[in-house]
Amino acid sequence: MSTTQDSMDIRYTGEKGPLFNLAFKTGLLTVVTLGIYRFWQKTRIRKYIWSSVDAGGDTFEYTGTGIEKLLGFLIAVVFLAIYIGIIQMVLFYAGLSVMVDPQRASPQEMIAQTIALYITFFAVLPFILYAVYRARRYKMARTRWRGIRFGMEKGAWGFVWRAMGYGFLAVITLGILTPLQTFRLEKYQADRSYYGSARFTQTGKWTELYPAMKHMLIGIGILVLSFALIGGGAVSENVGLIGFGGFAAFVGYVWVIIGGIHYGVQSFAYLTANKVLGDDIHFTAAPRTGFVIKTYIVGGLLVGLLASVAFGIVGTIAAAFIPLLQNGGGMIAFGIVMAVGYVVALVLTQALSLILITQPILAHYIEKLEIVNADGLNRIAQREAETGVDAEGFADALDIGGAI
Amino acid sequence: MSRVPHGGTRPPPLETSGDFFDGETAFARPVNLRIDTDRRLLTGDGIDWPVDDIREVMDQAGGDLIVLRLKGDPVARLILRHGDIRPRLPNRRRSAPLVRRGRLFGWALAAVTSVALILFVLVPLMADQLAEYIPPSGEKALGEVTLTQIREALDDTGLSPVSFCTAPKGEQALRKIEARLTAQMATPVDLSVHVLNHEMVNAFALPGGQIVLFRGLIDEATTPEELAAVFAHEIGHVISRDPTRHALRSAGSIGVLGLIFGDFAGGAVVLLLAEQLIEAQYSQGAEGAADVFAHDLMIRAGLSPAALAVMFERFRALGGDAEGFIGHFLSHPGLGDRIAAARDAVPAGFRPRPLLAADEWRALQDICSDGTLY
Repeated sequence: MSTTQDSMDIRYTGEKGPLFNLAFKTGLLTVVTLGIYRFWQKTRIRKYIWSSVDAGGDTFEYTGTGIEKLLGFLIAVVFLAIYIGIIQMVLFYAGLSVMVDPQRASPQEMIAQTIALYITFFAVLPFILYAVYRARRYKMARTRWRGIRFGMEKGAWGFVWRAMGYGFLAVITLGILTPLQTFRLEKYQADRSYYGSARFTQTGKWTELYPAMKHMLIGIGILVLSFALIGGGAVSENVGLIGFGGFAAFVGYVWVIIGGIHYGVQSFAYLTANKVLGDDIHFTAAPRTGFVIKTYIVGGLLVGLLASVAFGIVGTIAAAFIPLLQNGGGMIAFGIVMAVGYVVALVLTQALSLILITQPILAHYIEKLEIVNADGLNRIAQREAETGVDAEGFADALDIGGAI
Repeated sequence: MSRVPHGGTRPPPLETSGDFFDGETAFARPVNLRIDTDRRLLTGDGIDWPVDDIREVMDQAGGDLIVLRLKGDPVARLILRHGDIRPRLPNRRRSAPLVRRGRLFGWALAAVTSVALILFVLVPLMADQLAEYIPPSGEKALGEVTLTQIREALDDTGLSPVSFCTAPKGEQALRKIEARLTAQMATPVDLSVHVLNHEMVNAFALPGGQIVLFRGLIDEATTPEELAAVFAHEIGHVISRDPTRHALRSAGSIGVLGLIFGDFAGGAVVLLLAEQLIEAQYSQGAEGAADVFAHDLMIRAGLSPAALAVMFERFRALGGDAEGFIGHFLSHPGLGDRIAAARDAVPAGFRPRPLLAADEWRALQDICSDGTLY
């Protein structure tokens, strides 16, 4: 719906009931098919969520398919199984074993295990980053609005090297250069993104992300101060000072976490407000950190409460079978009731967290988004279809990408 | 839903309106549409869609919008605001055909074949190779980790792993059997032998020369020679590195299967099933080879291989009560042959020398009564 002549509001029309039904039903199907249906589950949930995004009266469409996800996943598994197998073999020859009994190992063995785990992680890291880019590219290529495709150029390896480089910089500066990492990586991806024939451009400056980082820096400051207090208290044997330092450390810790969420929300707002589509289509974004945190807390509590009720019911039903445990048949019935109940309660919990946490936060981001100069959209033409076969297989195989 | 009735009463004409996206531009074009019942077409300005080829895009939010597409056209869309057209589209729920189907199935076949190759060829091959070259320290660590896991898995109380039996006199007797057997071996191996305080009638070997005997096995044996026979059989597994190969194989297969089935609710069940499957493959040729090794070792140590036959007969007599490794023995059709082979292995005129004195054997039978925990 247009508010003014050339600005377009975006609405989120998804509801709790239908999404819950969809997630619960497909979750059970996933269990019944030993996990294979999860690719179709993800596809159908995305179709629902995409179609809930209504911009100017037209909804988005997700055109991905389950079969292409399964296929991409199998390709990634073949590759990763061989790759990780080779890495493990090399480590074996080098005498570094990931398998060590923590109770009986010598310090040298523990160190060797730690080194082996790090080598394995850093060997897989490029593929995790590769998967991040490929997954975004796949989602773009399978998203359509007004019949026009989104798209993203190839460039996953370029992303991998940059992500490792900026990540390294951010780590050695103790997080001070995080905005540089956030901005450059988003710019790399945004500048390769298209809507139909029109290209996105990321404008703005990385230093302007520092205001969003304010609370993280305050939290880190409090933490540093609290360690100084605890250290000072320990030296002067002042118990009161140590106690106060401990309290400050707790405050600092919570502040860093909330500051991190704030940074996530506000850096998204800045980066979105500074994106340009084509020559003159702009965006405004005003998501509120308070809403996101409130949803995490209230939604998290609600999910926890409902999940404990569900697991409690399973336990009660299972308890009714305990008198039957004397014979073999009763034992099997008890096991089946427990397993089925547990699985159903787990699927229920996943569906609940989707409708109580993921969807409201997504809806908030989308509702606070607006397209400025929307008239330019009418001049955009179609782009070619993408034909990659691996879909987001690497992301699925490496288990990244979250709820949707 | 309902199909369009053929013949008889003709369905009433239907007119509706909506937006059309041609898939070429982002411009939404309002269109008036009607169903041409004679030609079975949905027609409008620039649109002639056969009603049989129209598909509805499913899993859409907000039941008030209907998104229609044409079977062969991946991009063009019709957005309607009234559901009254639904009964007139007989195939709207059928899935649109996959594009480039041949290529897709080619890739699918290649991918499934590769996964199968990895599971059934590459993993066993790599495990066998690795078992030859694995450094002793790695093999030892592997065995220790596996042993801890088994002890935890066997525990019913959920408090602490099943304990080792370590009564000193019993240990002495056990070492005596070990020394009698290992003294006759061509290549010395580093063995560590444990007795687990568990009633299962069982014994197994683990990577790194770990041999585990269960209390239930000692209780079931009536002579030390029977115990020594099982012991020798397990040494046979250690020599041929069966446990190492087995552990590496299952680790590899479970790793790959874990990747495939993912981390979902029923994952543990699948892995358990897979483990059972792999377990069953372990014992075919390897058991026979370990038997032959045991016969030879027993004879050289001055003990009768027939003791192995006696032990096997006890397993068979236990019938349905036997579990795990022994249970597998029973399911194996060749158990009778193995009993016969053990009896046949006794050379003519063979005179066994005694293994343990009566009090030593009693001490070994009481190895778990000390109550000291490991």
